[in-house]
Amino acid sequence: MKRRQVKFYVMTLLSVVGLSSCTDLEIEESDSFIDEGFQGLENTASAVNQMYSGVSRLGDQANIYALREVTSDALLIPTRGADWGDNGRWRKLHQHEWGLEEQDIITPFDNWNASQLAASQILDERSGATPGEAADAYFIRAYSMWSILDLFGQVPIRDTQLPTTAIPEVFTGAAAVDLIIADLDAAILGLPAVAAGNTDAMNRGTQAAARFLKAKVLLNRHIYDAQLTGGGGTPAAADMAEVISLVDAIAAEGYALEADYFNIFRNTSDTETIWWTESGVGNRIWNGLHYNLTTPEQAGGWNGFSTLAEYFDMFEGDPNSNLEGSGQEERRGFVPTEGVAAGAEGTVDDDNDGIADGSNIGFGFLLGQQYGPDGTALEDRQGGPLSFSREFVDGDGAPNLINNSEVTGIRVIKYNPRFGGFTNHSIQFRYADALLMKAEAELRSGTGNATATINELRTVRGVAPIGDLDEAELLEERGKELFVEGWRRNDMIRFGQYLRQWEFKGDTETANDTRLLFPIPLPQLLANPNLQQNPGY
Amino acid sequence: MEYEFTPELSAKVNLGYDKSDSENVSVLSSNIINIDGVSNVGAGTFNTLERENQLLEATVNYRKEFENSNLDVLVGYAYQDFRNFGFNSAARGFNTTDLNGMGGALTSTVNAAQNAISGSFQQFYYAPNRDDLTVNRLFPNAETTNQDINFARGVQALVFDNFDNTDELQSFFGRINYTLSNKYIFTATMRADGSSRFGPENQYGYFPSGAFAWQIGEEDFIGDGFSTLKLRLSGGITGNQDGLGFGQFVARQRYSQINLGTIQNGVTIDNENGLAIIATDQPDLRWEETTDFNIGIDFGFNNDRLSGSIDFYRRDTQDILLQTPPAAPSTNPFQFGNVDASVINQGVEFALNYDFIQSEDTTFGASFNIAYNENEINDFAGSINLGPVNGPGLTGAFAQRFEAGVPLFSYYMAIFDGFDGDGNPTYVDIDGNGVGDPDADKTFVDEDGLPDITTGLNLNFSHKNWDVNVFLAGQFGFSVYNNTANALFNAGQLNTSRNITVDALNAGENPSASTAVSTRFLESGDFVRLQNASIGYNVPLSGDGTLKSLRLSVTGQNLFLITDYSGIDPEVTVNTGQLNQAALPSRGIDWTSFPNPRTITFGLNATF
Repeated sequence: MKRRQVKFYVMTLLSVVGLSSCTDLEIEESDSFIDEGFQGLENTASAVNQMYSGVSRLGDQANIYALREVTSDALLIPTRGADWGDNGRWRKLHQHEWGLEEQDIITPFDNWNASQLAASQILDERSGATPGEAADAYFIRAYSMWSILDLFGQVPIRDTQLPTTAIPEVFTGAAAVDLIIADLDAAILGLPAVAAGNTDAMNRGTQAAARFLKAKVLLNRHIYDAQLTGGGGTPAAADMAEVISLVDAIAAEGYALEADYFNIFRNTSDTETIWWTESGVGNRIWNGLHYNLTTPEQAGGWNGFSTLAEYFDMFEGDPNSNLEGSGQEERRGFVPTEGVAAGAEGTVDDDNDGIADGSNIGFGFLLGQQYGPDGTALEDRQGGPLSFSREFVDGDGAPNLINNSEVTGIRVIKYNPRFGGFTNHSIQFRYADALLMKAEAELRSGTGNATATINELRTVRGVAPIGDLDEAELLEERGKELFVEGWRRNDMIRFGQYLRQWEFKGDTETANDTRLLFPIPLPQLLANPNLQQNPGY
Repeated sequence: MEYEFTPELSAKVNLGYDKSDSENVSVLSSNIINIDGVSNVGAGTFNTLERENQLLEATVNYRKEFENSNLDVLVGYAYQDFRNFGFNSAARGFNTTDLNGMGGALTSTVNAAQNAISGSFQQFYYAPNRDDLTVNRLFPNAETTNQDINFARGVQALVFDNFDNTDELQSFFGRINYTLSNKYIFTATMRADGSSRFGPENQYGYFPSGAFAWQIGEEDFIGDGFSTLKLRLSGGITGNQDGLGFGQFVARQRYSQINLGTIQNGVTIDNENGLAIIATDQPDLRWEETTDFNIGIDFGFNNDRLSGSIDFYRRDTQDILLQTPPAAPSTNPFQFGNVDASVINQGVEFALNYDFIQSEDTTFGASFNIAYNENEINDFAGSINLGPVNGPGLTGAFAQRFEAGVPLFSYYMAIFDGFDGDGNPTYVDIDGNGVGDPDADKTFVDEDGLPDITTGLNLNFSHKNWDVNVFLAGQFGFSVYNNTANALFNAGQLNTSRNITVDALNAGENPSASTAVSTRFLESGDFVRLQNASIGYNVPLSGDGTLKSLRLSVTGQNLFLITDYSGIDPEVTVNTGQLNQAALPSRGIDWTSFPNPRTITFGLNATF
């Protein structure tokens, strides 16, 4: 009897416990949608927003921008005392001495592959994207794959229909280019035609933007074809012909050169802008300006990014001064000796000093003494003149990339703080580049009149026409027109100049063709056996 | 709740409910100088986190005494759930610089906006450059809606993000204790632990353990020399799922995180925030397992006047839950997985107690312990940098690396080789290119942040109504990275009008010399600390009055520290942040950390 009673109690207890709480340990959709694997997106319109939001990372000063510009002769960041040492990330890029695990190399590989995957997920038929959304996804996927191909030479592709544990296939050279071109053709078909000047609508893909990117890919195709097989390669006539017709198609939509050069880099309407991203321009403005160049909006720059004197010397003008009205060409900009009166178009005067905020800060290349709004010669933080020097020297006056003072190096500024220090409007594609691509295609294929094409640009920019265009002049023209817009590495490789010596490049790095590609991040080699380390690393 | 069915059989049910709410408002006034996006604008965040934990534990226990042995059997079931919910919100653009006023404006606007939205939603935001309040909703369908703003806006731009998720644990367990002749003690346990953080195939981990203890001192052949002599052997497996967040084994979609950085360029929101994949399915995620072996002896002589123990152990952690990069293209650059690596800890622990004086009026006893631990990472392919070093010009700098063949928290950096004639630092050339470079010539420097030896000494003395207690603690065989000195105590800081130490001023360093992470700032952390000392007096009382007892005492904590470390305190617990999404913890990096406080407490205890 007693025993049976015990049994009863135990049974009751266990069943109470069992009923009230025995759980299958399944998580609930309380704040997210849960699937056992990718089954399509819940809302493609929103995913397209998210995809473009990712692309706005192009405003970063590190990562892809650093790979595109700091690894060239266009930009360098000396270590100034303790500042800008940053684990050597900046020096190593300019010196071509980057190692296998630089964050600025790993992050772009992760980011742009992530953008590629986000686009593929939109394009997965289970997501059910509209044709317009799909066209946006084709455009961004092409841009992402192209960025990876250009920097790394190997593009891993994930099939969103396969389990996430599947190892992505890797495309290189011609096969990778074919994928990018196919996406761009689909984008050109599906994207809206947006007429020149309707700049507000150009933060998304347009037919002109897709054509621009296709022209860029075709112009570089011979480079990509031979990226992993020792280089060389010559451009195909058919590709060059298509570059020309793509640029003509862009021009047919009204895109044209803009008379006022620095006006292009504002968030106002102009005829040159083809694609801009909602990326803040603050990094482009403040990363080079000295701490004592201030506006009411921003208490000073970050005093890092600078350019080499040899880059500055490509421009027409006095090599030792870039003061306003000293005879330099328009694109070199100028250093004002004081601010302009409040009320100037596009400016504000938040501190009510009667001078447009930030208008004492110049355009283009800042060399020599810098001035305050009222014309005061500014000082650095030690009380010496705030006068940017052409050369990078250490405390002993010897050329050096470390142990620099606050004022070494010419600063470069294309977006001006008087029009807003952090405006989200970064130019990615513009018509002058398209026109230069056309001139290059004409020059490389011996068709058309490359000299006339380039003189069209030179005339608008106020420099004398040239007689007979050659490759060196074309690269120089691209350098002067497109400085710090993210094209320098790509251009130098295509023109065979990326491996030449420039100041502070490591002694043993000249002609080291390993540096034509960045290393595949080591964890990726472990995770994906289809990837192989790039030659020389 | 406990119930005894019979003297042998009893059952017990534990129910627990625990709820905690926290609310955090922080604001930065627009008067602050030189902070991008805050100066002239003002910024603030308002976050809430509510945790609800429930616990149910039921055990049934059967005890039976036999003639020469005891049996004790326990079976049980336990269930726990952990719900975390709340929101994160952030704002820029305040009309006041009064900090309390800013906090009030932020919280009232968040509440008003929440009330203005009908239906369920994940997040909302508004800014002066947008006409409407944008609401991102998940259920029943993912959609973005816009609605007029019909509430008072105390802040110009606001973002808000909800979260709500629940993890569950469920365990079935059993334990058998069997004692034979009061000399042989056998213990066996088995647990099946289930966690909702793993997929259906891997939810349960099965963790057995066994132990055997032998009271050798009770054996006749030992005699009276020992008052205690006991041999202990044990081995077992335990599981770990900590650190792994909610729902990492499935694919999940949600609107991507919005935060203060979403509001840019003063007070505008340009980027449309969209639906994103926030977790990629990892169906193979499973329990991290640690296998533990221990052998120990307890001993005592002379009625345990002298007693002590010695233990040898080895712990091997396998299938480590770690965030590593998955094959690109991937949504996230780091993903949790069970990494094919192991971390082995092995060592020895020794303790000794002795009562020097045991008399009626006076006692004096001492206990001493010392432990030696060796730690090594094994079989890990790849390497993960950790231990971020902070300060001007030190973005991306780090001091430690996780790699096979070295202990956890091993320092990895350039070796400082003194200053050259110009006062610029020089470094040992590791890669053999002829130049010692602080970035290219990093190496493991054979130092780590984990102490090899930890030790303590406790002294107790009492005489009549007086008692004295002293506790000394020491740690040896570890290094501390003096991040504070690296960032702030170098000649370059003079240029930026910061004060530096006299030592740094006299080091002969060039003021424009660069400062990089190197052994220049790595120091031995060995220390001995007088952790605690107290003296007390029990006032003799007759016991007849209202006052039954009265005790006066003085206690001092951290009274002195003996160390060669140049910073304030080598026992560093501050976390210097995350270097990458692997989010490995670091240890031993001293970045403006608060030292252990020295406290002196006067006590008066009275009983009435």
